[in-house]
Amino acid sequence: MARISRRRRIGIIALISFGLIAVGAIFFPISMPHFELAAEVLWSPFGIPITNTMIGAWLTILVMGGIAYAATRKMRLVPHGLQNVMEASVEMLMNFVESIAGKENGRKFFPVVATIFIFVIANAWLALLPGFMSIGFWHTEGEEQVLIPLFRGANTDINVPLALALVSFIFVEYWGFRSHGFIRYMSKFVNVRQYFGGVGQMLRGRVRSGMGMLFSGIIDIFVGFIEMVSEMVRIMSFTFRLFGNMTAGEILIFSMMFLIPWVAAIPFYGLELFIGFVQALIFCGLTLVFLVMAVTPHEEH
Amino acid sequence: MGAIGIDWQVLLAQLINFGILFGLLFFLLYKPMRRTFDERSNRIKESMEQAEQIKEQMAKTEEQVKEQLGAARRDGQDILAQAAQMGERLKEEARGEARQEAEVIVARARTEIERERDEAIDEVKRQFVDLAITAAEKVVNETLDRKKHRRLIEEVLEQAPGGKG
Repeated sequence: MARISRRRRIGIIALISFGLIAVGAIFFPISMPHFELAAEVLWSPFGIPITNTMIGAWLTILVMGGIAYAATRKMRLVPHGLQNVMEASVEMLMNFVESIAGKENGRKFFPVVATIFIFVIANAWLALLPGFMSIGFWHTEGEEQVLIPLFRGANTDINVPLALALVSFIFVEYWGFRSHGFIRYMSKFVNVRQYFGGVGQMLRGRVRSGMGMLFSGIIDIFVGFIEMVSEMVRIMSFTFRLFGNMTAGEILIFSMMFLIPWVAAIPFYGLELFIGFVQALIFCGLTLVFLVMAVTPHEEH
Repeated sequence: MGAIGIDWQVLLAQLINFGILFGLLFFLLYKPMRRTFDERSNRIKESMEQAEQIKEQMAKTEEQVKEQLGAARRDGQDILAQAAQMGERLKEEARGEARQEAEVIVARARTEIERERDEAIDEVKRQFVDLAITAAEKVVNETLDRKKHRRLIEEVLEQAPGGKG
């Protein structure tokens, strides 16, 4: 083939793309997507529901476990191939964690934070593979046939973000208690020292200072209550941020494929790759920040 | 909650999934990687220390070599000086010996010459005496015997200037 100028090459690619779009739109239309917010239960042996997102999560475990095993099976001091790639990734994560939490704390926090990152990003990226949302069982619902997919991205099941948020919450509180001691850490949420001090002053007859302490004591209790609520709200914000982003991405790709079956969804796949990375980074980064906040000593009132 | 899909059994299952992944990654990824990182950084530190050591040792060796070279140079110079001195001495000795020998030869030659001169003088004297005797014999006929003559002449010669003595 003769040399083709760059402009002409772009023209040819555009032409082929438009052709494919036309062919896809005319001959291979996709039926109206049926979208279920909740993960579909495929089977329930012994009353335990097996959802398609659980299968997705298992795939993630298999793939990541396999990669980890292959990368570290024969560790060499001079890395090479897969070991090199994984080492670079792990080191990048490690540097990220240590840059936020410091060297010593970073070492303690790394395993959980890194696992959150890897779980989220692997769930998100695996869900973009062909086969996800497209292989499944036809199911008659009323008068229309719907496809219940066998594989579904685990992040789009609210139970997964919720589970991760709970893990993050438990881990944060654990380190908070561990580094401050039970009483000191609890005093951040239930701060009644000033209040009872004020009551004591009042009983001793010093009404003016007693009133002042009582008042600031009530404010302390209120602040503690807000702290507690904000800690709880984190779980919800974690959950719905990840769930919303990933589910929206799934619906977006679905809708694009319905509108224009071929080619047109490709940019959105790129977008979803990026969003998967960002969401994983946000989830593990926020967990890390909350961990650091829980561990750093808060000033005494 | 049902519409959005929260289900405690699925939640539990996903928690377990996370736990499994955590365990897998912990033992298959984080632990060996951390070990390798630590090992590698240790190795690098060690080899850097080793390099430092080797450098130090090299500097020390160089110093030693320099020192030895200096010592050798000094030794060489000493030897050279000694050799020059010895040469000077030998020359001096040889010169002295030669002078002595020359003196001996000259002395010997002088005594030889002296002796030969004495002999020649003696010879001349004897011949002269004989000549005189013959002449006197011719002059004084048989008046004196030959022995008396001789004694007389010798007495004369003895008194004469330039004679023997």
